Amino acid sequence: MSDVHIHRGTWSGLAILGLITSIIFVTIGCTSGATPPSALDKGSPGGAASTSGQRASLTGAGATFPYPLYSKWFDEYRRSVDPNVTINYQSIGSGGGKQQITQRTVDFGASDGPMSDEELQRAPGILHIPTVAGAVVIAYNVQGLDGGLKLTPEAIAGIFLGQVKKWNDPLIAAQNPEVRLPNADIAVVRRSDGSGTTNILTDYLSSVSLDWKSKVGAGTSVNWPVGLGAKGNEGVAGQVKQLPNSVGYVELAYAEQTRISYAEVQNKAGNFIQPTVRSTTAAAAGADIPADLRASIVDSAGADAYPIAGFTWLLVYQEQTDYGRGQALVNFLWWALHDGQKFAADLSYAPLPDNVVRLAEEKVRSITFQGNPLLTVQ
Amino acid sequence: MRSFISQSRGFNYWRRKATNTVMSGVMILSALLTVGLLFAILGYIMLQGVSALSLDFLTQLPKPVGEPGGGMANAIVGTMVLVAIASGIALPVGILAGVYLSEFGRNRLGTAIHFVTDVLTGIPSIAVGIFAYALIVLPMRSFSAIAGGVALAIIMIPIVTRTTEEMLLLVPGSLREASLALGIPEWRMILRVVVPTAGAGITTGVMLAIARAAGETAPLLFTALGNRYWHTDLWHPIAALPLQIFTYAIAPYEDWHAQAWAGALVLVALVLLLSVAARIVGRERYIR
Repeated sequence: MSDVHIHRGTWSGLAILGLITSIIFVTIGCTSGATPPSALDKGSPGGAASTSGQRASLTGAGATFPYPLYSKWFDEYRRSVDPNVTINYQSIGSGGGKQQITQRTVDFGASDGPMSDEELQRAPGILHIPTVAGAVVIAYNVQGLDGGLKLTPEAIAGIFLGQVKKWNDPLIAAQNPEVRLPNADIAVVRRSDGSGTTNILTDYLSSVSLDWKSKVGAGTSVNWPVGLGAKGNEGVAGQVKQLPNSVGYVELAYAEQTRISYAEVQNKAGNFIQPTVRSTTAAAAGADIPADLRASIVDSAGADAYPIAGFTWLLVYQEQTDYGRGQALVNFLWWALHDGQKFAADLSYAPLPDNVVRLAEEKVRSITFQGNPLLTVQ
Repeated sequence: MRSFISQSRGFNYWRRKATNTVMSGVMILSALLTVGLLFAILGYIMLQGVSALSLDFLTQLPKPVGEPGGGMANAIVGTMVLVAIASGIALPVGILAGVYLSEFGRNRLGTAIHFVTDVLTGIPSIAVGIFAYALIVLPMRSFSAIAGGVALAIIMIPIVTRTTEEMLLLVPGSLREASLALGIPEWRMILRVVVPTAGAGITTGVMLAIARAAGETAPLLFTALGNRYWHTDLWHPIAALPLQIFTYAIAPYEDWHAQAWAGALVLVALVLLLSVAARIVGRERYIR
């Protein structure tokens, strides 16, 4: 009896081990056989034609905010420009993007905030290529108020500093005479995680409020005086939607997708501006752009500029270490700055203004492999 | 007689009876709550995910925002490849370590390994991911399926080791003595008698470890990285279901949310299938 038992055990055990091993080999075998060999990835300096027919697979990682647009771009580029170029982008966050390009584990990084001088010292030769601009909106949930709230920079700074405590505070009410504001406490919702969105908002608050600049400052995560933390844009949007009399800040795309109300903000010229793709591009056009393109475009001078806006960048090394992949990257960047821009507005990203495109073109032209420029398309 | 019995059922009797009823009720409720939670999760994922689930979802690559259709075929295959790599490392190591602990581990080294394995089980999976990142991704200068597989293997090894050990310890000593008495060497006894007897239990442990690895997200973030396309080879980034679900769930678009739910449904189905298979294999020894 026990003899039979043991034999049965042996057989079923063996069968299952066999099954597992065969699954292992079949899955590995199948997938590596079904895809093109990657030896070609390490392209040699051979074909120099524009879409050279060389296979290249690039990896990039970083900012979460532009992920939907980037994934659209990379699919579109492969489908209609160069089928040999596969670009895999993963949204691990702006901080991760800077870190990974510094460690050279990726071909390009992506970030909503520029690298600081300190960070650049650890990764010399990195270029900032702006791709699109985005707006951060002040989202609110006030009963009986579906839109049309107007906020001054003083009111916004006061709310996030915790000094403006009630919705019917004179700082808010003075600009909104036609709206009945409730005598209710303002519940501030802010990000709990490090974020490029926070960077843009705090950059803005620092430039309009000395009080904010000295007490809190700008950064991807700051020491908030007030507020309830929520993770990610979707976390803040969800929290604001659920919590009566709350206010928070999210990227324009999230506000539009979640149909949340957001405020018009008074800009430097004194006009109240609705955040839109157009007013964000206007902010980028009205800002001073430094030579390295690490530009802050908050509180921009343009008459139609929405003041809480920022660029998002791709981070690439000026000197590439692989000819084939370097060339694929440069040609893609060129495409993104021109043909790629038309995909931006549909997804609530603001296309770059012409003056910024010109400046970015120069940067892309300056990318080299062993000292020779890589750009082949014009 | 009758009056004597009813007299003996005094206050104490009724108090005990009431306590018994209340406590039984609480325990039954707790048990129902546990089962109910499982069904609530399954039901909710099913409800949300089933609308986006289709043949395309299982066979197509992801599509960009705003284009209908597209799927997670690359992520489904990617998860299988990652689990396969992890199993290739963790099963031999884990099972052999388990055999060592059970058969030869009655010494200081054995006790130490035992303790370390327990500690390893408790290490947060994100820390395992960072370890694999430093060990493989940084030197190779590339995120890779291998790095992801190694991270998952580190999570699987202690689970496999401990279940193997416990299953082997359940094998009766008389069986060992009987086989030794027949004159076969110790290694042969372990290989032909002890391990096969515990075979079903070991397989159950293996499948539970695989199910655990298949659902991990954190250790893959900085190792496998994720991929929107088919992976080119094992030294490059690869897609995985949990990563894809994570990315899609935090995006602002409704159709991506639907896809994330469908991905969660597929992942839960895979894990459930493994768990059920483990139960069936585990029961096999008793039904004959």
